[in-house]
Amino acid sequence: MSDAPKVLELRDVAVHFGGRGGFLSSPGPVVKAVNGVDLEIGRAETVALVGESGCGKSTLSNTIVGLQAPVSGSVRVSGEEVVGADKKKLNDIRRKVQMIFQDPALSLDPRSTVGATIAEPLIVRGVAKGRELKEHVATLLQQVGLRPEFADRYPHQFSGGQRQRVVIARALALEPDLVICDEPVSALDVSVRAQILNLLVALQKRTGVSYLFVSHDLGVVRHICDRVVVMYLGRFVEMADRDTFFANPKHPYTKALMSAVPEADPVVQRSKERIILGGELPSPANIPSGCAFHTRCPLATEICSKERPELTSRPDGARVACHHA
Amino acid sequence: MNAVANPLLSVDRLTIEIGGANVVDDISFTVAPGKVMALVGESGCGKSLTSYAMLGLLPPAAKRTGGRIMLESTDLGAMSERQLRKARGKDISIIFQEPSASLDPLTTVGSQIAEAYRVHQGASRTEAYEKARQMLVDVGIPDPTRRLDQYPFELSGGMCQRIMISIALINGPRLLVADEPTTALDVTIQAQILDLMKKLVSERGTAIVLITHDMGVVADIADEVAVMYAGRIAEIAPVHALFAAPKHPYTALLLASVPKLDHSPKADLATIEGTVPTPSEFGVGCRFADRCPLVTDKCRSEQPPLFQSGESGHRSACWHIDRMAEIRGVAA
Repeated sequence: MSDAPKVLELRDVAVHFGGRGGFLSSPGPVVKAVNGVDLEIGRAETVALVGESGCGKSTLSNTIVGLQAPVSGSVRVSGEEVVGADKKKLNDIRRKVQMIFQDPALSLDPRSTVGATIAEPLIVRGVAKGRELKEHVATLLQQVGLRPEFADRYPHQFSGGQRQRVVIARALALEPDLVICDEPVSALDVSVRAQILNLLVALQKRTGVSYLFVSHDLGVVRHICDRVVVMYLGRFVEMADRDTFFANPKHPYTKALMSAVPEADPVVQRSKERIILGGELPSPANIPSGCAFHTRCPLATEICSKERPELTSRPDGARVACHHA
Repeated sequence: MNAVANPLLSVDRLTIEIGGANVVDDISFTVAPGKVMALVGESGCGKSLTSYAMLGLLPPAAKRTGGRIMLESTDLGAMSERQLRKARGKDISIIFQEPSASLDPLTTVGSQIAEAYRVHQGASRTEAYEKARQMLVDVGIPDPTRRLDQYPFELSGGMCQRIMISIALINGPRLLVADEPTTALDVTIQAQILDLMKKLVSERGTAIVLITHDMGVVADIADEVAVMYAGRIAEIAPVHALFAAPKHPYTALLLASVPKLDHSPKADLATIEGTVPTPSEFGVGCRFADRCPLVTDKCRSEQPPLFQSGESGHRSACWHIDRMAEIRGVAA
């Protein structure tokens, strides 16, 4: 890679909630949602962030766009520090990073035409107005595979897949460097999913945008991502490039996840090795000692409850946090 | 696999109408004891209405205008509301997608499970509680005695779904209708719930009608699959036959649009152009015609019946079953 700044650089980012206590209340437990993570994303790269509800992936996404302040660490978007940035600076940085959420129906204002919705960031940033603005919106609609005359319609006149296209058009309006896609296809019907995935790939090829792709669907992840990061209770437990990750998963949690995702092929699915994890995800307010996964881990030994394993590099380039992998 | 002599459930030519359109149109299938039938399809295909009809739970706007639903020799459609109430929870149970929306937030889970037992069995409070505790053990909830006294908000989503399953099963129903039972859950919890359902089927001989859009879940647990499109069955087949050689273009494209192990990364996935027709757009012919790569004039003018094709029990409603190889070309 060149010397150009990475699109995203996270250094030892930690985000905690609570613990302070209010006017009349005693301090509650500290919820350690994100607990010291490092990550880099290069230009035109797609990195998948995989984990279950409560693992901290949404908190981390919010921190990257500056909606949530970390208690420590550094977040750089295209070289600019988000943490501690003043309002004006933060405004500039936010232009470079956009988000797409799971349910497009909840991301669009039902009382605005989709044209107005897509135009809004362009107006706010003073990018275009009048006739030029209209043309800009038309181009964006075409880029996401919608007809320009759809600009006058309202969200309820569209199907789920079309709405997600509108959301993508709005996210791309300001030509961001990074788009955080939070489960962008899980609310969509199967036949529409493929269309949206194809669109995301095509847009990346054309514009060089990078994606942080939050998902639990490993089939989709394998299809669209260059690298994969697995998160468990606020920490990364495994990071690797796609091929290494899928050919040779190492962390017992990764293996359990992989065995839990049902494969759309009865022969493969019914013959594959199953690792059924016992129990539930512990609360992030009460993270187990040592390795946070030891309470559910089939490989756990004494050391796991005492000493937290660091992410260490393996010969094939993967980085894994496990005493036994 | 082959036609069962004594099916537990038989749905025969079921038709449900909303606002003059047949949103469920001439649906027939049977389920044998200890088997899992998956109803697969996208939003609006009629899979949920079909299953609600089995429990007499159709919304007021929907009317059953034809067909019969038999549980062994009982005609569920001919039952009074009173008889239905007796059958629900006892002979047939249902679990829904969102467990937290189905549980009463102000009642402990213990009394909710026990209530289901007392209503149907006339058991005493103590007896019902003991039965409820036993159910929690059966569905794999640790520390059941403490859990019984907790409220739904104190439990995780996977735990709540197990509570729902306990309520659904406490009276030992012969048929369980599961409407997207794992869609709202994390994958590791989904795996636990699917394993629990498999255990039910093999140990108690419960039959399951599983409604889902997830082909992975189907591949995991189903014995037979009915693929629904716009209110009709497009294809119905034993699970292995369906995945190995789909005989309807819709099924073939649906399967091809799911990213698989051997796909090269970031390559184009097969897509189905267009969108599902709304009931007002249903034509006289095949309802998939406007999106189908094999479409001919005949498809638009004449509705294809379910043709027998290949292995026994494999049927497809397509005029062009013999041209399926072309779809595989499109999908590859």
